[in-house]
Amino acid sequence: MITFRKPLPNIERPQMEADVVIVGGGPAGMACALRLAQLIDEHNSKNPDTQISKENIYVLEKAREVGQHCLSGALLDPRSMRELLPGFEKEAPIDAEVVKEAVYYLTEKRKIKFPITPPPLRDHGNYVISINRFVKWLGQKVEEAGITIFTGFAGSELLIEDERVAGVRTDDKGVDRMNQPKGNFEPGYDLRAKVVILAEGTRGSLTKQLVARFNLDKDRNPQTYGVGVKELWEVPSGRIKPGEVIYTMGWPLTMREYGGSWVYGAKDNIVSLGFVTGLDYEDPRTDPHHVMQAWKQHPFIASLLEGGKMIRYGAKSLPYGGWWSVPPVAGDGWMIVGDSAGFLNSQRLKGIHLAIKSGMLAAETAFASMQQNDFSGAMLGTYEDRVEDSWLKEELWKVRNFHQGFEHGFLEGMFHAALQQVTDGRGLHDRYTTKAGHRRLHRLALLPADGDGRAHFLGKAKGDGKLTFDKLTDLYHSGTKHEEDQPSHLVIHDTNICNTRCVTEFGNPCQHFCPANVYEMVEAGDVPHGKTIHLNASNCVHCKTCDIMDPYEIITWVPPEGGGGPNYDGM
Amino acid sequence: MADTILVVVEQREGKFNRVSLETIAGAQQIAAATGWTVEAAVLGNGVSEIANEVASRKLAKVYDIESPQLGRYTPDAFVHALKQFITDRQPKLVLMPHTYQVRDFAPKLTTALNRTLVSDCTGFKYEGGRLLFTRQMFQGKFAADVSFGGDAPYFATFQAGSFRGDQAEAGISAAQVETVNIDVPENVIRTRVEEPFKEAKAAVDLSQAEIIVAVGRGIKEQKNLDMAKQLADALGGEIAASRPICDSGWLPMERQVGSSGQTVAPKLYLALGISGAIQHIVGMKGARTIIAINKDSEAPIFEISDYAVVGNLFDVVPPLIEEVRKAKG
Repeated sequence: MITFRKPLPNIERPQMEADVVIVGGGPAGMACALRLAQLIDEHNSKNPDTQISKENIYVLEKAREVGQHCLSGALLDPRSMRELLPGFEKEAPIDAEVVKEAVYYLTEKRKIKFPITPPPLRDHGNYVISINRFVKWLGQKVEEAGITIFTGFAGSELLIEDERVAGVRTDDKGVDRMNQPKGNFEPGYDLRAKVVILAEGTRGSLTKQLVARFNLDKDRNPQTYGVGVKELWEVPSGRIKPGEVIYTMGWPLTMREYGGSWVYGAKDNIVSLGFVTGLDYEDPRTDPHHVMQAWKQHPFIASLLEGGKMIRYGAKSLPYGGWWSVPPVAGDGWMIVGDSAGFLNSQRLKGIHLAIKSGMLAAETAFASMQQNDFSGAMLGTYEDRVEDSWLKEELWKVRNFHQGFEHGFLEGMFHAALQQVTDGRGLHDRYTTKAGHRRLHRLALLPADGDGRAHFLGKAKGDGKLTFDKLTDLYHSGTKHEEDQPSHLVIHDTNICNTRCVTEFGNPCQHFCPANVYEMVEAGDVPHGKTIHLNASNCVHCKTCDIMDPYEIITWVPPEGGGGPNYDGM
Repeated sequence: MADTILVVVEQREGKFNRVSLETIAGAQQIAAATGWTVEAAVLGNGVSEIANEVASRKLAKVYDIESPQLGRYTPDAFVHALKQFITDRQPKLVLMPHTYQVRDFAPKLTTALNRTLVSDCTGFKYEGGRLLFTRQMFQGKFAADVSFGGDAPYFATFQAGSFRGDQAEAGISAAQVETVNIDVPENVIRTRVEEPFKEAKAAVDLSQAEIIVAVGRGIKEQKNLDMAKQLADALGGEIAASRPICDSGWLPMERQVGSSGQTVAPKLYLALGISGAIQHIVGMKGARTIIAINKDSEAPIFEISDYAVVGNLFDVVPPLIEEVRKAKG
């Protein structure tokens, strides 16, 4: 029997009043906090009689240290940072400015270079950064500005009263495997906030609660996702220049899967590389970690890495759906920013600048609310107007139909993409619809046993220990640690479905799509098909893929005890 | 007894808990700020010696609260005695060290008196006639000043280290000790206390073991652990396991070897049905000799083992046990 995490019922919790609570200390949350501090400082210096306090503005961050759960490629489009901190380049941790880029289409053995780099992938003027170091630096700015960051505290529940978001409950600490308080038990706090800003990143767990509670996905396209599996390598000097950018499409994926890779040259012979697999593939045995390992075996990639050493690993999902999937982003007592809202440009593979911009716009809204002491839905709704009137909307509008165009494979996708390019994003229809990625999974019975040209990325990767790695070895390099004696934070609402239905219908795709070996089917005597679900919850790298991709929608990712998770130093 | 601070000092098994001196120091500082007086009380059966020791500090009075039922600590007896004493004397403020014993009975005591308790305080402030207690929040990131609503007596406990015990002021002369006999009826005590005992220290210290027999998922079922234990016994070694085994609760966590368990370096490490994921290897690669038995010839454990046995452990281990027993005579 697996016991799942949920806030302990019927206990008295410490209450704390707050003006603004920002859930999540990534680029969106930090930009939001910093912009809010700037606006308040500016106001206070001009209005000695009507001072606004920054004391009750808090950022909750589930990682033990700021930035440790942040993972991205990453390239930074500096547009929003220049608005937030003009001249930030002088002090921010930047690896290199992009100096060279190339796009390739890969077949199993060959590479075909695109004669010109497609305009959306032209990256001159962007910066190669480590999102981990960048966010750490932003976090320092936020703390210097006088805003408190609670690291090691996750938002576990929204407090909703009279159809209004009234605050956030933080995680219960010191709860054992059976959900019983231990000697070091500390109940989660009820942070009663005038406004809660959800900056949880991709597939936010509170955002999911909010969307479900208020049907925010009504009349929207379902959000679609990809999962990026990343490794950081140290390679012999001169192999890839700092600021050199390579994108590949094609192999190891077939024409029927969506996805592609990046290779970014950073400082000191460090190379960031990774593969994003669209979470809308057909074959439930597809293993995105295996896809990444297979891709590294392509002669072109293998030659780049030869003689190098893998030093870090990580994985994270990202929202692809674009403008039509963005839910309402403000309401009574709440706003949503960054990846939680789906502000990501899937054509340019960039979201950090939009996360920052949306955080700033939410900060401007929160500031106006504080000035007028009005946190109503109408007042906070002006955040939506700010988004509409900003370049954020303009950028996303142009690519509103991009990802949907690839629904029926690569070739059709390229056709739609080209058409959209010349029709200002429209393409064939005003609004391309889509369906959620997990609904595209085919039942095992309908798939040929030989893998249908995909055998090289189905099931577990073996790894040679040099160029390729098995999942556990890679996972070890993510530095993931959790308190072991706690309930499972991967909440499966009905494990019978895993052991009876899924095992025959889809072959338990959780074992494959999870890049951290959390889900395992182990032999057991007392179940009909001889296998039962087993969770290695403490392996979890917080990528949220399971919450997205499970075919029965029975997995809910909730935050584990704060402080646990990957350690993405330098990622 | 208006405007008095009562410090309840702690004794266990007739031994004075010196952390109580920190609470006395704190009480003296509060008294200096407020002008209140400080008294102390100790509960037990024949603890006048402790009362006398406490009386050497600068205190207005020390109460030696005696009852045969207070000899062995029970929350029921302590609460009964203290409730009666506090109701009689009506101190304004009751202070205690935030010890395990106090944590055990203080909530019950204050609830019984219909009062509030501010627990685990790290300091106090006295501002404009209001006494505030400081508590840590968000794991020490924040401090909150808390004041009492409602009526006295007020209750607070101090975290260890909040004040310095050696700064508890000594009195010019010993404080008067008053013995208070309180009748604690037998029937209020709902727990029966057995002889105190010390739990044997963690039964096993794997890092000291010279021989370790470790099992992995290849052992299949919990009942097969017996076989591995027999081998460990025959060799005079300890049994250990990789994570899946401890995760399933087949062996206690303290026997888990690897990145989320123990790191060991025995003379001999026998790995039975362990594939050798890096998470396990980092915990045992320092072993002098590694013998691995696994049916998968490509199991990574073989890369670091000195002796590799490719085979079913259920075929290999039983004869091995026999041979070891024979060899050892």
